[in-house]
Amino acid sequence: MDNAVLSLRDVRKSYREADGNRLDVIQVKQFELGAGDQIALVGSSGSGKSTLLNLIAGILLPDTGAVCVNGTDITQLPEARRDRFRAGNIGYVFQSFNLLQGFTALENVQLGQMFSGGGNGERGAQLLEAVGLKNRLHHKPRALSVGEQQRVAIARALVNAPALVLADEPTGSLDETNGTAVLELLRQVCTDGWHTLLMVTHDQAVMRHFERVVKLEELR
Amino acid sequence: MNIFKIVKKNMQQRALATTLTGISVALAVALTVAIVHIKRGMQQRFEQSTLGYEMVVGAKGSPLQLVLNTVFNLDISPGNIPWSFVEKLQADKRVKAAVPFSVGDNYHGFRIVGTTDAFGETFGYRLAEGRWFNCSLDALRDAFKEALEHSHERIAKEKGEEPAKPAAHHHNAAEAVIGATVARATGLRVGQTFIAAHGVEVSPNAEEHTDNPWTVTGILAPTGTAVDRGLYINLDSFYHIEGHEVRDTGKPEEKDNDPDPGQVSAVALKLRSPIHAFPLYWEINDGEEAMAAFPAVEVRKLFAIVGNIDRILLAQAILIGLVAGVAIAVSIYNSMSERRREIAILRALGARRGTIFAIVVWEAVAICAVGAAVGVAGGHLVVAVANVALRQVSGFTVAPLALEAAELWVVAGSIALGALAGIGPAWRAYRTEVAENLAPTS
Repeated sequence: MDNAVLSLRDVRKSYREADGNRLDVIQVKQFELGAGDQIALVGSSGSGKSTLLNLIAGILLPDTGAVCVNGTDITQLPEARRDRFRAGNIGYVFQSFNLLQGFTALENVQLGQMFSGGGNGERGAQLLEAVGLKNRLHHKPRALSVGEQQRVAIARALVNAPALVLADEPTGSLDETNGTAVLELLRQVCTDGWHTLLMVTHDQAVMRHFERVVKLEELR
Repeated sequence: MNIFKIVKKNMQQRALATTLTGISVALAVALTVAIVHIKRGMQQRFEQSTLGYEMVVGAKGSPLQLVLNTVFNLDISPGNIPWSFVEKLQADKRVKAAVPFSVGDNYHGFRIVGTTDAFGETFGYRLAEGRWFNCSLDALRDAFKEALEHSHERIAKEKGEEPAKPAAHHHNAAEAVIGATVARATGLRVGQTFIAAHGVEVSPNAEEHTDNPWTVTGILAPTGTAVDRGLYINLDSFYHIEGHEVRDTGKPEEKDNDPDPGQVSAVALKLRSPIHAFPLYWEINDGEEAMAAFPAVEVRKLFAIVGNIDRILLAQAILIGLVAGVAIAVSIYNSMSERRREIAILRALGARRGTIFAIVVWEAVAICAVGAAVGVAGGHLVVAVANVALRQVSGFTVAPLALEAAELWVVAGSIALGALAGIGPAWRAYRTEVAENLAPTS
């Protein structure tokens, strides 16, 4: 794929165990996603789904292989540039929302903008409005329901209009109703913004929302 | 959103620890500022007061006591010197001016100083209003003579003898020029009179010289020196008061022809050339009649003694500051365990390690900077409060709002201390592993 938003080649990540042996956690021969793709990546608990997302986000580095986002092999970037690249090109939605408790909803979204070095305050407010939190801009996370908190996290992930959105079981902490609503919202905003969405999950109900579902084992 | 807003939020989240550590910095800075300010201010006031007083001569004893009494209107007089010695100094070709002083009375705690009309001109004190009193040296000699006659008359009466009839004498009016502080504190104005109380300090049992009121003829312009707190009277009028008799040996056989009847508390000298200072100084001190002292030297000696005390206080303040710095470092360092996840989130959002390091250092710097700002304000408040005690002890006050250059160094030092205190915790934050800390800990 020439215009792949995400491309992994021969990526391998292992950890050294207590007994000194190496445990292979991730082995990906080849994996690509194009612009606007929406894929569910499935695997059992402990299969390395979150590790793979961290490798794609540049939070972890593989032992070998290349991780290209928008044509840039992030494994070749120095750490500071990789951080900056992540801020501008990759949105990350976590299962546990990972909002900063001392900041309001709007400030949490603006934090996403701060490290990319661009954007303005209005975009954050617009996104929060788009996810239905127009009246919750200045509420701190504790004053929001879990569903609302995850919407804030989605707005934060999208605030820099990233090419790639990574979601690590974003409905895992929500009840069925909230989970479905958040999932639909995430898919919709990614569709509207032409963002590529890679969501990892082990939830069959979530998988049903995706036309393309890839098992982690299939990537070896 | 910017790095400083994150710092502010972090400080707000740890409000109690931030406040307590900030207070300890403020205490250290306040103490330092107050010590520096009071010492510098007092030294300036004292040095300012010695200007023009090249040498003072008085009774043998403590040179510091002589200077404090003559120049600063403090302490008690170490004794008197004979008038003949003053005349000898006036006749000395090396001496440009010799201004005598006599003390012994007060008005509402402000010292009354008898001197001649050369006082203002010699030391450059200007009048804000009114005029100087008259007191020539001839008038003074006459006053000594008259006082001696009265003394002899009293002694003769006590012995039941027929007293000799005193000669007729011309009296200058009893007049006074008062310092600016005295005018402000007592409300005395030109043309008003006042009654002196015996003694240089206020005493409930002090005898008042009700028969000898002085009329205020002038008010001095403020000088910022001890002169502001003095009432200067013509010296001849001082000896017209009962109880201020000139030297009286009490021996009737000496009463008629005492060759040296007068005495004064001290005399301040201006020399024709600085080259004469040390020869004259040694000459006087080698003699038996009097002692000479350089006011500037005595003030420096005084502040060298005081300097040892304030060095101890400053060392304590610096120690408090260091303890505050350690407290900040420990407080932020300990909070790093709770903040690992927040740091990981910021890193996941794209914050560089250097940014995380800077956030933590800025937090420590901000605590110290705010603490230092509060401390500077607190230090000036301490100076304002201390002024009450300073006024009582020395008669001087220190301008509480004046800024010292040293304060900038104290603030800069506090900020540097904050930066130093932040490095340890910042390094811990810098090394936080992102992937390991993104998941919530139960």
